[in-house]
Amino acid sequence: MSKRKPYVRSMDGWWKKNPYFVEYMIHESTALFVAAYAFILLVGVVRLGQGEAAWNTWLEALKSPLSIVCHLVLLAGAIYHTYSWFKILPITMPPVIVGGKKLAPEVLTGSALVVAVAAGLALLGLVWRIAL
Amino acid sequence: MEIFKADVVIVGGGGAGLRAAIAVAESDPKLKIALVSKVYPMRSHTVAAEGGAAGVKKPTDSLDYHFHDTVGGGDWLCEQDVVEYFVKQAPVELTQLEHWGCPWSRTEDGHVNVRAFGGMKIERTWFAADKSGFHILHTLFQTSIKYPSIKRFDEYFCVDLLEEDGRVQGVVAIEMGTGKFTMIEGKSVIIATGGAGRVFRESTLGGIVTGDGMALAFRHGVALRDMEFVQYHPTCMPITGLLFTEACRGEGGYLVNKDGYRYLQDYGLGPLQDKPKNKYMELGPRDRLSQAFWYEKQKGRTIEHPVLGSVVHLDLRHLGEAYLRERLPLIYEMAETFMGIDPAKDMIPVRAGVHYTMGGIKVDGKCAASLPGLYAIGECSSVGIHGANRLGSNSLTEIVVFGKLAGDEAAKHAKSVAPGNSASLLKQAQAIEERIMALKTKTGGTERISVIRKEMAQSMEDGCGIFRTESTMQATCDKLAELRERFKNINLDDKSSVWNTDWLMAVELDYQLDVAQTMAHSAINRRESRGAHQRLDGPNEAYKQRDDVNFLKHSEAYYVPGGAPRIALGDVKITKSQPEVRAYGAAGEKADAERKASHV
Amino acid sequence: MSEQKIIEIEVLRYKPESDEAPHSEVYKVPFTDDMSVLQGAQYIKDNFDGSLTFRWSCRMAICGSCGMMINGIPKLSCETFLRDYYPNRISIEALAHFPIEKDLVVDLSGFIEKLESIQPYIIPKEPRTIEQGEYIQSPEEFNRYIQFTSCINCTLCYAACPQFGLNPDFIGPGAMALLHRYNMDSRDGAAEQRMELVASEEGVYNCSAVGYCSEVCPKHVDPASAVNINKANAAKDYFLRFLSPKGGSK
Repeated sequence: MSKRKPYVRSMDGWWKKNPYFVEYMIHESTALFVAAYAFILLVGVVRLGQGEAAWNTWLEALKSPLSIVCHLVLLAGAIYHTYSWFKILPITMPPVIVGGKKLAPEVLTGSALVVAVAAGLALLGLVWRIAL
Repeated sequence: MEIFKADVVIVGGGGAGLRAAIAVAESDPKLKIALVSKVYPMRSHTVAAEGGAAGVKKPTDSLDYHFHDTVGGGDWLCEQDVVEYFVKQAPVELTQLEHWGCPWSRTEDGHVNVRAFGGMKIERTWFAADKSGFHILHTLFQTSIKYPSIKRFDEYFCVDLLEEDGRVQGVVAIEMGTGKFTMIEGKSVIIATGGAGRVFRESTLGGIVTGDGMALAFRHGVALRDMEFVQYHPTCMPITGLLFTEACRGEGGYLVNKDGYRYLQDYGLGPLQDKPKNKYMELGPRDRLSQAFWYEKQKGRTIEHPVLGSVVHLDLRHLGEAYLRERLPLIYEMAETFMGIDPAKDMIPVRAGVHYTMGGIKVDGKCAASLPGLYAIGECSSVGIHGANRLGSNSLTEIVVFGKLAGDEAAKHAKSVAPGNSASLLKQAQAIEERIMALKTKTGGTERISVIRKEMAQSMEDGCGIFRTESTMQATCDKLAELRERFKNINLDDKSSVWNTDWLMAVELDYQLDVAQTMAHSAINRRESRGAHQRLDGPNEAYKQRDDVNFLKHSEAYYVPGGAPRIALGDVKITKSQPEVRAYGAAGEKADAERKASHV
Repeated sequence: MSEQKIIEIEVLRYKPESDEAPHSEVYKVPFTDDMSVLQGAQYIKDNFDGSLTFRWSCRMAICGSCGMMINGIPKLSCETFLRDYYPNRISIEALAHFPIEKDLVVDLSGFIEKLESIQPYIIPKEPRTIEQGEYIQSPEEFNRYIQFTSCINCTLCYAACPQFGLNPDFIGPGAMALLHRYNMDSRDGAAEQRMELVASEEGVYNCSAVGYCSEVCPKHVDPASAVNINKANAAKDYFLRFLSPKGGSK
């Protein structure tokens, strides 16, 4: 009989032990924020299908102070979601070679963020014009 | 006791051992191979080798040039027929490594690149950045996984050879994870356990380089040859001893003293060159460069650093960061991490440190030792190619050339002999187990192994350093005899079975004391200076010179149980190259030209 | 002459033959600024307790032996320095996510098996004899895989990976980096053969892109990239198998 007695350590509370993992759990959780917002929009679509009165009630509900606060929180979550998603983007892509050299991860992340901000602003501008 | 029956047992899983295992497997897939290593193979010290592996590549180069560089570099103590075989097989084996995936650095057009190295007339050092040993080792380890006939015994510590009927019959090893003993029978045993430089205080070597296989063969009557020749590498990190590859100099680095002066021009390596020129200045052989360091220190021209001690400076600044990061990435990181130095901006303090054991288990040109069935390869062996001083990048080639040869020979031998008598071998193995267990279980001792180890290492540095005298070497011989006695009185803190490194390090210390004694006694017996063995004494300073009349001979150390080794002298095989004045720099070029003219 | 500095090193000790569970012990170690954590451990072993057990060899971050958790972060102890923690106490523990055999030594057999399972050797696309010399490999082809050859098998990435911690069967970052190294080597033609392992239950889909493996890798191998690039490769391979019986992607 061997005298070995390997000891297996517990994984309980693993994510609390390292700031890197805490941040990981936070940015993973922002997916729930995005899902929550999608749900609000889904409700809107359903209300739209139920007629003008239902649609207007939904729109009014959205204007309440609670709803505004809620939306700001969800917006913050969605922004952090986008940021952290793009931070991890470089590891999912094959190397991008420009001029014989591999593009640094910061360049890839930065470019994606720039595109996201530009697209967001463009969309906002479009909606603003339509609304006016 | 666990028992395993193999055809070929290989002790040591570094470059040489792995190459031999692959050779046996390829020669006959039906042969059972046991590869026994006290560490996982990728931890073997081959991994730390940096500069590259020499093999004729350029059309302007020739086997003859490589031959003459090697024999001259060895100060004519090489077995010249073996060197001829070595230089011929070198390009073959290095190409084989490439086929197996080794990421040799390339030229623009996709061929394997070669670089300049110390003591080599033409660039012939194949290199993989400055991590050549790492890449060679990982290539061999990963390739070895292809062969199901290789059974690895990872983290099994070999404690003795089995010998019966006048031949070797296997090994006994401790499974480190459980403390249990295992007998591994084998009709051929190849020792590939590496060098013994850890007997010295400051070295480039990892903790595992303790001369295990050398001691095992030695105790079974095999001679350890040329043990006095210990290579000091000129550019090591002070205190840790970590290696800054010769390639730093091959790529154009300078060595300067406290006046910023490239002092090597004062030691027969000049005249001064502004670009690296083969066999000149910083591209001279290692023994000469390390000796120059010693002389500079005597003259008070080294930098006396308050923490690091006596150093000279390795100047790489003129190569620029981009080039350094591409060609010398590992040493760049080492300078930054360990010393907080940016080599592109500041000079690196370095000094000579112990690096390589030229000597080892005496074997013939087929890697066979005097004990039938026993073979030795790599740094633990003395096959005859390095002589009194090894040229950089010859040893990475050595492990694959002789790994292949020994594998083939061991396979042939295993098929030609009958298996041993397992019952009586088991009795032998049990006696070995008792002896090694006693080391652990005995009580009442008062000596700590770490103290004995440190005293040994200090004494070896003092007595068997770059320059030696009768009195310093004698002091070391006496000290080692004292430490041998004191070793009998050790007490281990750890008496357990599982992962008892206290116990295993005691066994290693036992090996080291034996090997250290062969080094010290061989050194004091050689009354001349040759290659890496340099003396300052003798009647009318006679021993400062090379003495081809009396000492164009190998030293052979034989085990004397309970006493100092007996030193004998053996003949050197000379074929094409008669001993000459060993010249480098401008003098070397002149000597080369004269030799060429006279060999019309 | 300045005073001798003393640092407290807290070690998680475990002796399987006498302990039920690991427990901490604190040692007061005199040190100088150049000393690494490894040298601190060696000091304890040489002077206080010879039974302290840890793997080590090269001392220059190339053999991969000396990994341990240092203040909760996986590091190579030979290139981590006591001066950076002083005057605080430094705590060392065996690499996370592996069973502890003794003190700082963990059971690496599972990792070794994974390395062996991925066919980590060249299966040549085209045969070539030695007489024909080396395969030609352009700088571009060289750069496609060379980064992944730097792995020293130190397993810091496994200690960093919570998915491996939760599921020890996950092939993990290091083995995937080696697999990817061979797939990307222009001399090799066996990417398809290795795909089965990539897409298996123990394969890349266990990875949830935490990315800590690449953070801790001492050799900048970027194993996270090796794993995640192969998610796309595995998906491509899966769909192509529908289109053609041979399937296959590279």
